[in-house]
Amino acid sequence: MEIRVNPTRMELNRLKKRLTMAQRGHKLLKDKRDELIRQFMILVRKNKDLREHIEKELTDAFAKFLLARAVMPVENLEEALMYPTKVLRLDIHRQNIMSVYTPRFDWVEEQSGGAEESSIYPYGFVDTSAELDTSIETLSKILPQLMELAEVEKSVQLMAEEIEKTRRRVNALEHVLIPRLEETVKYITMKLDESERGALTRLMKIKDVVRAKM
Amino acid sequence: MLIDDTIYGYAVARVKALETHLLEQGQFERMINASTGEEALKVLSESGYAAALAELDDIHNFETVLADELRYVFNLVMKISPLPELIGMLALRYDIHNLKVLFKARFLGITSDLLIPVGSVELAKLENAVTEDDFLLLPEKLRRAANQIIEDFMVNRDPQIVDLILDRVLYDQLIEEARERQAPFLEGLFVRQIDLTNLKTLIRVKQMGLSRDFLSRVLLPKGTLAVEKLAAMIEEPLESLISMLDISDYADLVGEGVREWSEKGSASLLEKLSDNYITAYLREGKWVPFGVEPLVGYLWAKEIEIKNIRIVLVGKINQLPAESIRERIRDVYV
Repeated sequence: MEIRVNPTRMELNRLKKRLTMAQRGHKLLKDKRDELIRQFMILVRKNKDLREHIEKELTDAFAKFLLARAVMPVENLEEALMYPTKVLRLDIHRQNIMSVYTPRFDWVEEQSGGAEESSIYPYGFVDTSAELDTSIETLSKILPQLMELAEVEKSVQLMAEEIEKTRRRVNALEHVLIPRLEETVKYITMKLDESERGALTRLMKIKDVVRAKM
Repeated sequence: MLIDDTIYGYAVARVKALETHLLEQGQFERMINASTGEEALKVLSESGYAAALAELDDIHNFETVLADELRYVFNLVMKISPLPELIGMLALRYDIHNLKVLFKARFLGITSDLLIPVGSVELAKLENAVTEDDFLLLPEKLRRAANQIIEDFMVNRDPQIVDLILDRVLYDQLIEEARERQAPFLEGLFVRQIDLTNLKTLIRVKQMGLSRDFLSRVLLPKGTLAVEKLAAMIEEPLESLISMLDISDYADLVGEGVREWSEKGSASLLEKLSDNYITAYLREGKWVPFGVEPLVGYLWAKEIEIKNIRIVLVGKINQLPAESIRERIRDVYV
């Protein structure tokens, strides 16, 4: 379906300009989409690895935690963990991947106490189960990976959105705008040609009439 | 001071009667074999817990039942005991727990609901002392510990220190009181608990990769195993710990428990054997006709029973395999 326009030469020029613009845009967007997808695939693969790894570790840590929970009264357990030794400070920066702003996390773990030994265990040894130690240790070890996963996963989400948007634009250009413009250009050219031919025949006709009269 | 033992007549008789209501190994076995947490609870409600369980609307709140039971048993034994001070000593660990909670809550600027209303000092008094920074009402040792905590925390802001100081003062106080009140049976109990805790601490600190210096600070003094000797063990392989204790009372438990720990990385066996060891010690006093021993034994039995119930229920609710529940169940006292 063509666009309703006045079939004038000016309109034709305008449309032709739009068409080249659309074609250039289409090419650029297509490149952007391909690159986005490439980046996306890298991230997704990383995400998958990280996630599988973390899920395994977490299941393990939770299982151990459960056992620690089973042998300690709930009050003891919560008392043991109520005041953490570490404080996590998180800074979030923006990072530009193909004009998608993805988050980048910078974090510092700070010891809340100035104690010389950086112990991650905020509790004493009486009345706490050794099974708690191992689960705390695992949890504390996977925290950096967990942060990384959060970063990657959010990036993947944002990229996916962007890819979808870009793809929709590419499709719109490819299947709607460009064909329409082409059709309209064709329509106007035909119309102009037609009227040119009309004018020509009219001129010839007039010429005949004038010549006959002479 | 020689105490006339016969004053224990009533208390011992009463406890003997109560002992018959303790859960037996068979009942735990049935709970373990139950298909779900609810089923396990049903087995439990055939016992003395029936009344409390009837009011339980959500299985996940079973802890309240256990806490109530513990409080009830403590108050009961305290009431029937002719010398409640001795039983009060056993409640001291709850005072210490409450102090830990109060201190941490104060340092965090929150209020906490983790207090356990069992204990020899009234809760309100403790709460007041910690919030007002006025420890005059506390027993002397606790007072000193409290001041030490405040001082240390202001400098280091290390929450572990709260636990470490209070744990140490707990056993200091217990041993001293036991000696003062001439209760060799209780002293024996505390000394054994110190030793077992120290052994566990040694291995835990070793696995955490912390220094010998740190270890010698956290080991509890006044046990039968010398602190320096234990601290030295941190640099040795676990095998030499086993051989060091080869001729001590702890040979069996350390041999089995530590080996399992170093091979499978699981402390559960050692912890279970430690509890069993204490149970076995207290069982020796079970048939004393007049004395504090059966009372202490009963209280411990109740604590173990509650621990076992917790293990089974937590395990059942979370669908742990029966085997890993079973291997954590402690021996029962009866």
